[in-house]
Formats: sequence, C-alpha cells, structure tokens
Amino acid sequence: MKVIEINKLNKIYNESEVKVHAVNNVTFDIEEGEFTAIVGPSGSGKTTLLNMIGGLDIPTSGEVMVGGSLMSSLKGADLTDFRLHNIGFVFQAYNLIPVLSAKENTEFVMRLQGKSKKVCDARTKELLKAVGLGERMNARPAKLSGGQQQRVAVARALASKPKFVLADEPTANLDSKSTETLLDIMEKLNREENITFIFSTHDARVVKKARRVITLEDGKILSDVRKNGGE
Amino acid sequence: MITSIAWKNVWRNKSRSLVVIIAVTLGTVAGVFVAGMLNGWVAQRINDVIFTELGHVKIQNPDYLVNEQASHYIANISELEQYLKHSKDVVAYAKRSKIMAMASTARGNSGIMLKGIDIENEKNVSGVYKQLLPGSGSYFEENSRLPLVLISSKTAEQLRLKNYRISNHTTDSLSMLNVPQETISKLTPIKDERFITRKKFESAIKGLWSDSEIRSYGPHLMNTAAYFQPNAKITFSFTKANGQIGYLTCRVSGVFKTSNNLFDQTSAFVNHTDLINAAGLQPDQFHEISVILNPSVKDIDPFIKSSSNQFKNLSFLSWKVLAPDAGLMADFIQVYYYLIMGIIFFALAFGIINTMLMAILERVKELGMLMAIGMKRKQVFSMIMLETIFLTLCGSMVGMVLGGLLIKITEHTGLNFSSVAEGFESVGWAATVYPAIDLSFFFGIIILVVIVAVLSSIIPARKALKLKPIEALRTE
Ligand SMILES: Nc1ncnc2c1ncn2[C@@H]1O[C@H](COP(=O)(O)OP(=O)(O)OP(=O)(O)O)[C@@H](O)[C@H]1O
Ligand SMILES: [Mg+2]
Repeated sequence: MKVIEINKLNKIYNESEVKVHAVNNVTFDIEEGEFTAIVGPSGSGKTTLLNMIGGLDIPTSGEVMVGGSLMSSLKGADLTDFRLHNIGFVFQAYNLIPVLSAKENTEFVMRLQGKSKKVCDARTKELLKAVGLGERMNARPAKLSGGQQQRVAVARALASKPKFVLADEPTANLDSKSTETLLDIMEKLNREENITFIFSTHDARVVKKARRVITLEDGKILSDVRKNGGE
Repeated sequence: MITSIAWKNVWRNKSRSLVVIIAVTLGTVAGVFVAGMLNGWVAQRINDVIFTELGHVKIQNPDYLVNEQASHYIANISELEQYLKHSKDVVAYAKRSKIMAMASTARGNSGIMLKGIDIENEKNVSGVYKQLLPGSGSYFEENSRLPLVLISSKTAEQLRLKNYRISNHTTDSLSMLNVPQETISKLTPIKDERFITRKKFESAIKGLWSDSEIRSYGPHLMNTAAYFQPNAKITFSFTKANGQIGYLTCRVSGVFKTSNNLFDQTSAFVNHTDLINAAGLQPDQFHEISVILNPSVKDIDPFIKSSSNQFKNLSFLSWKVLAPDAGLMADFIQVYYYLIMGIIFFALAFGIINTMLMAILERVKELGMLMAIGMKRKQVFSMIMLETIFLTLCGSMVGMVLGGLLIKITEHTGLNFSSVAEGFESVGWAATVYPAIDLSFFFGIIILVVIVAVLSSIIPARKALKLKPIEALRTE
C-alpha cells in the first residue's frame, strides 16, 4: 500500500535575484513500512522536499498525496490537524519542550490529539523503554544527552502511531556512537510497529542502515535504490 | 495540559519573571492600600455625616429651609411621630428645636445655631456625646443652677474660653516625651501666664523657641498647654417668638470636637425645655427631626418618597442631599478605586508586554516546532495568554495579600495626616484615616488583572502567531 505519492513536485525560490530550483520535477512513491533515506550534498533540496511532504512548505507545482488525500487542498488549522494526526516529526534540534519531562514530551502529541491519560501513560512507558530511556522518564531535556533527547523525539513521533515519520537529519548533531544507537532504535521500531520512516542524512553510516536510498542532486533524483533485507 | 505548560513556562526564566511579579506586587499593594485609605476616609466621613451631623433623613418645615425662623416649626408633629414609631425602617429619631443666636462672653462673641434637644434621646441619633474633649467637662452632668450648654472647641476658641498656659503639668508632659531639658527651660519666662488666644500663645512661643523646636515639639505643646476655662458662662441672645429680644445664660457643661469644623462652629446644644422657656416657644414646637434608619435599608429614596407622600407639607431630605460632598463620594467611590487600579495596571502592562515579547523571541524555534508537530495557532495563542495571566495574577495575588495585611495593621491605629489635613477638617473630612476595604474589591481586582493580562498578552501572542513553522525551525 502506498503511503505517500509524489508527482512532478517542484519548488522554486524566487526570493533572491537568482532563481533556485530547490526541488526539480521529483516523482516517487513510498510504500507502507519502508525505511527510506534521502541523501545528497548540502543544498541538494533534502529539507525542502521533506518539508513539502510534511505539509510545512507549499510546492510551487506538483502534488503530494498522503494516504490518498491531496496535501495542497488543506490549509490553516486543517493542515495543522492533518500533521497532528498523520505525521510524526523529528527535527535536527529543538525537538523537545524544555519545561516538560521526557515522559511528558513523549505523550505531548497524543495529548494534543485528546487521548486519555491512561492510554498515553501505557504507550509512553512502552516507547521510552523501547528507546532505552525507561529509567529517565522524569528527566527534563536539559538533563539528557543529545542522543537521548533525539531518542525522546523519536518516541514522541511514534507515540500516536502516525502514517509515517519524517526525520530531517536527526543525527546531524550526534556523535557516531549515539548515531548508531538512534538508527538501530529507529530501525527496530520500524520493524516492530511497521511504521514508515523517511529521513535525510549526509552520513554514510546512516545511509548504510537504510533499506531504500533516494539520492538527490540539485533538486533532482539522481538514483533510487532498494536494498533487499537491509544492510 | 496547555495550562500546565504555560504555568511552567512562567518559571523558565525565574529572575525575569520575578522582576515583573515584584513590580505587579508593588503596584497592587500601593493600589489596594490607597483604595483602602480612600475607602476608610469616605466611610468615616459618611459615618460622621449620618451618626453625628445629620441622621439618614432630616425632616423640616419647608419654609424653614428658606428662612430659619423660629415660627417655621414642624406643624403636625404628633401625627408624624406616630408614623415614625410605626415605620419598620426607622430605628431612632430625635426632635430638635433650633434658634439662631449670638453667643457672648466677656471676651468674645460668635453667631451660632442653638439646638434644643432631649438630652437622653439625642444619644440614639447623634454621637456628639461621645466626642467630648477630655478634661472639658461632661455631657450635661455638671451641677449648676444655670442651664447647661454643650459647645464645640472651635466655638470655645472664638469665645476665648480656650486658653493656654504653661503649667507644671505641661513641662512634665514635655519631659516625658524626651524633649530636651534645655528646650523646656526656655519656656520658664512665661510659666503660669494665661494666654486667651492661640495666636497670642503662639507668638509668645515663637519668641522663645527656635523654628526647629517649634516644628518638633510645637503640636504637643499646643495640646498640653490648652485648657478650657472652668465653669465658663455664655449668654445667648436671640429673637423670641413674639419678636422681642430674649436671653439665655448658660454654663458650659462640656466641649466637643467632631471631624467637621463647620458643624462644630455652628452648633451648640441645650436642653429643649431650657430653650423654649427662654425663647417663648411651645413644648411641641420643633424645627427638625433627624431619623436613623435600619442598616438593612440600603436605598433611602423609597422611604423618603413614601414619607413625603404621607406628609406633603413637610420636607424630607436624605443625608446625600444635605452633605453632597459625602453623598457624591458614596456613589462614586467604587469608580475611583478602579480608576486607581486601572492606572497602575495600565503602567504595569508595558512591563508585562515587554517581558512576554522577550520570552517569545527566545522561544521562536520551540514555538515553530510546536506548530509543526500539530499545535494549533489557537492553542499557541492561549498558551501565551495563559502565561501572561499567570505572571500577572501571581504578582497581584501577593500584592492583594500584602495590601490587605497593611490595611489590617493600620485599620485600628489609623494614619494621622493632621500636619496636612487642617484644610480637610474644615470641610468635615477627618485628619486621621482608618483604612478599610471590602472583600468585593479584591474580586474586582482579580477581574481587572485578568482583563489587563488578556489585553497585554495580545501583542506578544500575535507575534507568536506570525511565526511560520519552517522559518522558525530553520537551523542556521
Ligand atoms: N527559504 C529559502 N529561500 C531561498 N532559498 C532557499 C530557501 N530554503 C532553501 N533554499 C535553497 O534551496 C536549496 C535547497 O536547500 P535545502 O535546505 O533543501 O537543502 P538540503 O539538502 O537540506 O541541504 P543541507 O544538507 O545543507 O541541509 C539550497 O540551494 C538553498 O539555498
Ligand atoms: Mg537540510
């Protein structure tokens, strides 16, 4: 089943004197359960592409369909609501609310969705254990390492069982050890929960873990490779 | 959940929030206390107006209002009394005969309104009997062949009955107050000399004491050196009912001082029977009736209306009409409180807005992330608004408690403004203020605080709403 269908997607920035064709006529689909890396040099359009898939940015032309519904038909509060219910986000930094504990951060999206405390509680505990933070549930972000913070962000993104999780360079600020741990966790959750992951990266070690690698250059797809059976 | 995040966000930058909270606290304390003072002052004035000077309602012959002549007495008094006795609203009333008189002593004279009262019943209506100056005598209890009269301290001064003398008692009391012996001994040249006016005494003191000594010890010296001539006699002269000149010579029974100089200057009290005998009036001829109403009667006007309907030939006036200054204050005092608080909070709002703007500027990326993951603009808006409300409410709660405590502390001791209040006393406003406040005022403040917080959160919250998630999130 197709989770995401992208058709002739373009993004052109007109702000400066030179036009920047950040995403250039990109077409591809993402199947349910895929674990996809978007790679490419800096400025190749990875962030721009992910933002359009996530409904954070508006394409210049082309379409993004998520679960069969056209993203560009949504606006304002409806779009926010769509993100809330369908997409999990992990950013490079500033993922967590500093005044909330790891547990409260993890259940935040579910609480926004209006899920009951009991449901949130069980799911949060399960996920924090899965990301190896069962013991640090009540710690605030400032008391956690960068890698641990990203793991909380992954737990939050998954908590409400979204259609897919978007992660823009989730490991950019991490050392190699934490990078490996985070990727292993993401991979494990992808398998266990059958949640679709799309993440961008520069890092060759991260690319190795992906089962599908889409390479961008100057906003165009250079290659799209599926590996069988992971590594 | 948004509420709890907002609350936690308040304490994120503790020192910055505390600065605002302290500012709001101080503003609230000041506002509450000033309002308390104003309130106490007005309540006192109203209390004096009603329970010393006027009563709730004054009944007169309308002609007497135009021309204060002895012949304009209340005509159908027994019928009126029946009515008052049976009215559920009336707690007490006092009848008074009144006559304009010239009061004279060997040294001075003064025009005055001589009021003939029922000595015992008058106590139910007017608190003058409680306001006798210590050492000045008693409320009609002196032994005398002559009729007794109660005069005010102001009248005593005008009639030169208030004298000044530096006695042993005076110097003792000064040294008790730790006035330096040197300063006291400067007074020796005028020891035991009698000064019949305050002016003369003051100029004598000016010759002996330095300005700074007068400033520090003068008021106390004035108080302890003053005394009322014992057994003083006053002769009142007036036009009798038959048009001839009548005289009434009285002995001073006591000297009173209320907070209203004007009332004091124009009032002297004698026994009703003494007055009518001298003035040739009949025993049932009275010129005014002061009525005290039940405390449960909140609005006096219905009573006045129905009474006026029954007794069309009489004038019924409420204290609000007779003392318009106090009446106006009673009606508008609430407006003043909220005006004071409003001005204070208006000024504070700028600080609050500034703080919230800073708090948002710091959190641009976090707010972008929140909107990206699915927090609606409405929710972001209410989070910022709640933060502002909590911040403001915190300060004003503490401020209300402190302001309330300050009022509780000063409630009984009062605050003395006599150094600046001579002007106020002359128009009936007390120099010592006993702050007091209604609980309802605090509820009013809370509502005001919420309004101010909501209004001052609009600018910062709008700023937050203008953020676009991707732009806010872009990592540089
Ligand atoms: N808001 C913008 N206005 C103008 N140009 C932009 C804007 N955002 C991105 N670009 C341009 O679009 C192109 C693609 O940028 P994008 O951020 O998507 O690349 P990226 O692959 O994510 O790079 P990196 O690996 O450095 O994160 C770049 O040339 C960039 O300068
Ligand atoms: Mg990028």
